[in-house]
Amino acid sequence: MSELSKDSQYKWRYGFFLGCVIPNRYPMIERSIRDVFDELGAELLDLPGASCCPAPGVFRAFHIPTWLVLAARNIVIGEELGVSTITGCNGCYGTLRDAWYDLEHNPEEKKKVNEYLAKVGRKYTGKYEPKHIVQGLYLDMGLDYVKDFIKYKFTDLKVGVHYGCHIVKPSDKRPWHGQYENPQFLDELVEITGAKSIPYKDKFMCCGAGGAVRTAVKEVAADFTREKLMNMRDAGVDIIINCCPFCHLQLDLGQVEVNNFYKDIIGEPFKIPVIYITQLLGVAMGMDPNRLGLVKNHELSGVSPFIPIEPFLDIVKEQI
Amino acid sequence: MTESKKIEEIKVTGKEKPKVGVYVCHCGINIAGVIDVEKLRDYAKTLPDVVLAKDYSFMCSDIGQNMIKEDLEAGKINRVVVAACSPRMHEPTFRMVCKESGLNQFLFEQANIREHASWVNMKDPEGAYDIAEDHIRMAVAKVRKLKPLDVQKVQVEPKSLVIGAGIAGMNTALDLADAGYKVYLVEKTPTIGGHMAQLDKTFPTMDCSSCILTPRMVDVARNENIEIMTYSEVVDVSGYVGNFDVRIKKKPHYIDQEACTACGACVETCPITVGNEFELGMGTRKAVYIPFPQAVPGQYTIDMDHCIQCGICARPEVCEPDAIRYDDKPEYVDVKVGTIIVATGWDLFDPTSLEQYGYGRYPNVITSFQMERLLSSFGPLVGKPARPSDLKAPHSIAFLQCVGSRYFREDGNSYCSRVCCMYATKQARQYKEKHPEAEVYIFYIDIRAFGKGYEEFYESAQREYGINYIRGRIAEVTEDKDHNIIIRSEDTVMQQPIELKVDLFVLSCGLEPSEDADKITSLLSIQQSSDGFFMEAHPKLRPVDTLTNGIFVAGVSQGPKDIPDTVAQAKGAAAGAIALMAKGEFEIEPYYAVVLEHVCSGCKTCQSLCPFGAIEFDEFKNVARVNPALCKGCGTCVSACPSDALIQNHFSDIQLFSIIDVEREKSTAQN
Repeated sequence: MSELSKDSQYKWRYGFFLGCVIPNRYPMIERSIRDVFDELGAELLDLPGASCCPAPGVFRAFHIPTWLVLAARNIVIGEELGVSTITGCNGCYGTLRDAWYDLEHNPEEKKKVNEYLAKVGRKYTGKYEPKHIVQGLYLDMGLDYVKDFIKYKFTDLKVGVHYGCHIVKPSDKRPWHGQYENPQFLDELVEITGAKSIPYKDKFMCCGAGGAVRTAVKEVAADFTREKLMNMRDAGVDIIINCCPFCHLQLDLGQVEVNNFYKDIIGEPFKIPVIYITQLLGVAMGMDPNRLGLVKNHELSGVSPFIPIEPFLDIVKEQI
Repeated sequence: MTESKKIEEIKVTGKEKPKVGVYVCHCGINIAGVIDVEKLRDYAKTLPDVVLAKDYSFMCSDIGQNMIKEDLEAGKINRVVVAACSPRMHEPTFRMVCKESGLNQFLFEQANIREHASWVNMKDPEGAYDIAEDHIRMAVAKVRKLKPLDVQKVQVEPKSLVIGAGIAGMNTALDLADAGYKVYLVEKTPTIGGHMAQLDKTFPTMDCSSCILTPRMVDVARNENIEIMTYSEVVDVSGYVGNFDVRIKKKPHYIDQEACTACGACVETCPITVGNEFELGMGTRKAVYIPFPQAVPGQYTIDMDHCIQCGICARPEVCEPDAIRYDDKPEYVDVKVGTIIVATGWDLFDPTSLEQYGYGRYPNVITSFQMERLLSSFGPLVGKPARPSDLKAPHSIAFLQCVGSRYFREDGNSYCSRVCCMYATKQARQYKEKHPEAEVYIFYIDIRAFGKGYEEFYESAQREYGINYIRGRIAEVTEDKDHNIIIRSEDTVMQQPIELKVDLFVLSCGLEPSEDADKITSLLSIQQSSDGFFMEAHPKLRPVDTLTNGIFVAGVSQGPKDIPDTVAQAKGAAAGAIALMAKGEFEIEPYYAVVLEHVCSGCKTCQSLCPFGAIEFDEFKNVARVNPALCKGCGTCVSACPSDALIQNHFSDIQLFSIIDVEREKSTAQN
């Protein structure tokens, strides 16, 4: 067990569960989470040997017991370090949190899981609840605490906030105290930077990618994204803020796909910058946009971000 | 049995040898299907002082009862153990058998081998049998040490307190008063009438609610046996069945109710306007007000939360009778009653927390109760419903059923509120009567049209009025720029998702216990079931009694119900109270504590601990004394007494230790 000692420079300690999409597609999200959490006094430990969460829409849909064992194994890596796992991905959060909740409510299943884990010399207790980085920021640290680290405030930045699905539902397995039909926590976190969260139609609609839809039928996924993007554009947003790398991918690369598949319907092609929540907080906390992954060498093609972020950086330059 | 036989009393002093009879009940297969009852009967025969043991399929039947009677009357036994169900079920039955056979009824003990053994261990017959043996062994051990006791009788004061003056409380009060009993009818708001006064029409007959309610209100006001105490709250209740001491707080009206002539001149001059609770915030009233025109009593009240005491209404040219009293103080009234009827009613479920329905965010989402006021001919829009955003008559209306009901999440209630299917159907019909061209939709899970004439009412709503019933719980609603409501749902009959734009969206909210229910529970020492409604003593057989003798429940405070059921239950509660008061006395179980005066050292420890104030102190003899009528037999004093000078009847140390001893012997033997 590793308790934080009194002279530690950190106030919180978590096991940082990266998942798959962040390291493979958006490494800048990891950088921004690590920098922002370090600045806020939260230590993020590596989880050696962590695997795929495994993805809820894929593994759980096929075989729940396998999904549970693999998820429990990932949680155990944090347990062995004496910390909660924390993830920046809604999908990983869905898996880790649902598996943890299900095992806490089903001792029989927990016993079975431990029989499997014993074969690899591990034991699952369920003592540490898996968390999302937004949960760390909003519930563990609190808005008032984070607010004190904001150095620069945006004066006119209209944000379309996208929550994603797994972070709020299923509601009984989530920690948001009844905030699940019209949650505000991410909007509140965005608005401490001075940015304004703009209401738009069907804000809580899926990005389109989840549940393996993106993998299976890209056109359908893109159709969701198209509707979402049109609603955001109608509301007049400058940027999109989200808290999930898979939504991030779908809203970023998805814009290229929508512009391609649905050019007859959408009129003007979409080019709304997509920013991860800790990238936004990082900028407001005075961090270097280069380090936060907001500056891209445009000679590189086929790598993220796919939609230029410059319009956001122009706003940043003017307003802070 | 018409022939009355003189029963000879079986004398038991406690000195003669106990002769215990054990009767094992099969309870059909409830016990015998799991436990080997014959083996159990033979086991009972081996226990000390057991002279006979028998088994029978239903001990509670006449034949079963006669088995005990015959053995008692033949002098074979002088103590009885029945191993059967819970004593809460049949202890009174078997005690009566003992009494009728001349045996003191407190020389009986019941071993609960159904709830405690066979039912909970259906899959483990051997384990169940072992537990049943334990129960019988303990019951026999205790019955050998029991002492004959005398039943205590208390007088019942022929007066009643009715808490809440809605349709339930008023009907109860009228029945009690008509039977000749004095009634104190306490109501927290300034008028009697309750929620029914806010309704426009009642289903399925479409009677005008006020037209049938106001005559009852007048009857209550005119009845000389009823003392109406409006704007009052019960603040303290002590005592026991037949003899409750009740303290009632009369909140200050700030207007002398005797002097006020209800001319209404004060209202015209009052400069303060606030939301009108009677109109559910959709209308206004002044800081000095009368709840509604037909209010009873018809006097005015000043709402001191909003009054700025400008003094205008107190001017002699405004209030000619000089009735304004800004310095009015609360008044406390003490009354003694024999029975109490609780009829505290309900509050509407607040749908704000169900954010998917947009109540509180979108102006054109209203509750069904607000719709009722909009439909009412003496409501804020004089019976011409309009939608809040632009005050235009809606062309399309959707109702959503089960808002806050049948909802298995933390922010709703799991029960069915029983009235919403019908009131939504009624409101839909009312609107269609005035606007036949309108489109009206009702989204439902199932339609529960269970009452007399309800199914026919629902049927004609579909066929004659063309109301569209759509089976599906709405997922979410949004609004467009013109504040129209866009509904998304699934039509689960057609199995297709639907999106529907309507002008007005009405939430058929369920009923919840009144916000004061918790307070009433602790004041009266009654129980609430897990849904928060008051708990009846037995869900089938004692639906208007509470577990506290002398206290009854009526109306929605016991559970959601419509007006006919409420009135029926109110009559039931009145009948229960009348039965108690007509008899004039009530038997209480003699489980009180007794002080051994020669042992008591007069330390008064018991007196300070007694939660019921049942212990008096005899200064002359320097000993404590228990008032049997007040003592509830909780045993606090008995366990606290440093000199062991207190004995609890029927639960004495000797009796309880005899049980513990046999179990200790068993476990020692096993080890």
